[in-house]
Amino acid sequence: MSKTATLATVRARKNALSGYLFISPWLVGFLGLTLIPILGIFYLSLTSYDVFTPPRWIGMRNFTRMFFEDRRYWVSVRATLYFAFVAVPLRLFFALMVALALNTKHRMIDLYRAVYYTPSILGTSVAVAVMWREIFGFRGLINSLLAGVGVARPVAWLGEPSTAIWTLILLVLWQFGSPMLIFLAGLKQIPEELYESAHMDGAGGLRKFLWITLPLLSPVIFFNLIMQMIFGFTVFTEPFIITQGGPLDTTNFYALYLYRRAFESFQMGYGAAMALVLLLVVALSTAVVFKTSARWVFYEAKEGKG
Amino acid sequence: MKRVLLTLTALTLAAGMALASGGAERSAPREELRVMWWGSQTRHELTISLLELYAQKNPDLTVTHEFAGWADYWTKLTTMAAGRNLPSVMQHDYAFLTEWESRGLLQPMDQFVSSGVLNFSRVPRGNIDSGRVGGQLYGVNLGVNSEVMVLDVDMFQQAGIPIPADDWTWQDFERIAMQLHERLGVYGYGAGIMNEQIWKGLYISEGLDIFAADGSGLGYTNDTPHIEFIEMVLRLQEAGAIPHISREASDFAHGENAEQKPIITGEAAMDYMWSNQLTAMWTAAGGPNARNFTVVPPPRRRGGAASNYVKPSMFFSITRDAPNAEAAAAFISWVTNDIDANRILMAERGVPISDVVRADLEPLMDLPQQVVFDYMGRISSSASPTPPPDPAGYADLRSNVYNTVIRDGIRFGQYTPREAVALFRQEARNILGEAARN
Repeated sequence: MSKTATLATVRARKNALSGYLFISPWLVGFLGLTLIPILGIFYLSLTSYDVFTPPRWIGMRNFTRMFFEDRRYWVSVRATLYFAFVAVPLRLFFALMVALALNTKHRMIDLYRAVYYTPSILGTSVAVAVMWREIFGFRGLINSLLAGVGVARPVAWLGEPSTAIWTLILLVLWQFGSPMLIFLAGLKQIPEELYESAHMDGAGGLRKFLWITLPLLSPVIFFNLIMQMIFGFTVFTEPFIITQGGPLDTTNFYALYLYRRAFESFQMGYGAAMALVLLLVVALSTAVVFKTSARWVFYEAKEGKG
Repeated sequence: MKRVLLTLTALTLAAGMALASGGAERSAPREELRVMWWGSQTRHELTISLLELYAQKNPDLTVTHEFAGWADYWTKLTTMAAGRNLPSVMQHDYAFLTEWESRGLLQPMDQFVSSGVLNFSRVPRGNIDSGRVGGQLYGVNLGVNSEVMVLDVDMFQQAGIPIPADDWTWQDFERIAMQLHERLGVYGYGAGIMNEQIWKGLYISEGLDIFAADGSGLGYTNDTPHIEFIEMVLRLQEAGAIPHISREASDFAHGENAEQKPIITGEAAMDYMWSNQLTAMWTAAGGPNARNFTVVPPPRRRGGAASNYVKPSMFFSITRDAPNAEAAAAFISWVTNDIDANRILMAERGVPISDVVRADLEPLMDLPQQVVFDYMGRISSSASPTPPPDPAGYADLRSNVYNTVIRDGIRFGQYTPREAVALFRQEARNILGEAARN
């Protein structure tokens, strides 16, 4: 700042001041709710902290415990990866298909769009999770329907290690609305002429999709992939309410296990250490997606390679 | 630039604090008594009526309350403790009283006993002493309590099985559960059977300490009682005489949903709980006239002593953050001794500790409470001694090892009983040992 030490300095300072004043609501939020807590996590992760008594410095003990002694930790990591790698691609695929279907001209199309978006407005709310628990409960809707068609033995969908995680995957699939909306906006950006000329050249629907839609949509896919990947790594409400991490920890996802350690066993230091690892993993995965994006994301302005 | 930024932030924060403290000052003139508890819907309603009566009688006092379910309660309170914003009076549990005292979060009440604010003239000494930590009084007992096995009397009659005697064993239990299942097609027993309280009961029945005196590990060396019990559970599960673990995990392992318990829905003939939970359970089942339940002590080891003990159900404690400890003590004394207060509470927190109150309530009780009063009278001499509170690190051991390895791991077939019990022992040494060293 000092390099502009000329007659305009006072004015520049004034300008800067009003600039900072304008963004101060955001600044306060960023410092108070993001930056300072993150710095706090760095410190707490090196301590043993039960909230009642001041944090006690224990160096890397939380990390050694987490990586080498905590059996549940790796079960939780595996469950989270399974969830993220199954649910996220499925959700994106589903969202894209619905977006394609809704990207047509039809009298009622606005109504359809609103209807398909509704589940996502209800979104991560507790009410939907509670409803899901009732639907898949032992005496729930699914078992009643099955009994109606003659399946005698009810299944404990939420209590079987093999099925519980799928009830959660189904739920997040059903809430495809926000990536769908972003896809829809992306689809509307693709110039109609491209399809017309492809049509004249005799291209069918699949070819048009593969050679026009997908490349031109790739920046949007890229954006959705990152957002959804972060969502997948940090999913909390659904397992917390519906399966409570069980059975056999098959849905004890990372964020849920972190919460349990921190707020149920009162091991804040351990929770902070887990949060720090999650932060690094999410940052790293995002970086990897960014790095590889040059190979598959097509930007029109750059006369792209993809 | 940096300075501008800092100044701005500081100014904003200062403005915020000024506003906040201004607000607090305005509401200051009236004395405030904030009371907090955990419990069921029934308890919430009763306690709120109680506080309304107290507010009427003390117009100069602003009485406020907060309540929660068991798990949320402790999360909330821990957060409040960190924010130095604890309620004046909090409901406390035997398991945590020592820990909270050692962290300086509670105020001793002895000065109020000697000054007469806290009146215990009609309370037997034994009922007061359970609230002492290091000789000083930190909790006033709100009632006594013990574990019970609840039986559906109609189902027992239908199956032609007599109600078991108070000294029945786990062998009797297995036979009866199997018979109930075979004859009626119901679950003989329908609650979570692998719970840590039953595990402790196995060793209490043998007269052994559950934990080492220094809290660094388990207090017993013989795993046979535990293994024998688990093998029985597996036989019952195999036969369908208890719900499969997947059903337990899906519907009622977490204990929040009283209405879904198989004994209430008529799917099971036996259930296990604390005696003060009986009223809420009976209410959920449709009230005293709808169903016919009775209680017996939980089974014991063959040739062993009782597996249950009499426990202070819960305490009222005065916290460090109480603005006026004497007002809080006066409230607790009122709850202990006042007839009208207890006619509202109706022994929902356990059988009252004052003998005057107890005598007054007895004829007013409805059936579930009479069953509990009768039960507590019956077992008062036969129950085993109350074990010391659980050691530090126990919550960690329970949720991260007992529940995952013993309760779920064995019954989902992940471990054999022997492997699981050995692993549990080793983890108990690691976790409790590390907690004891700190």
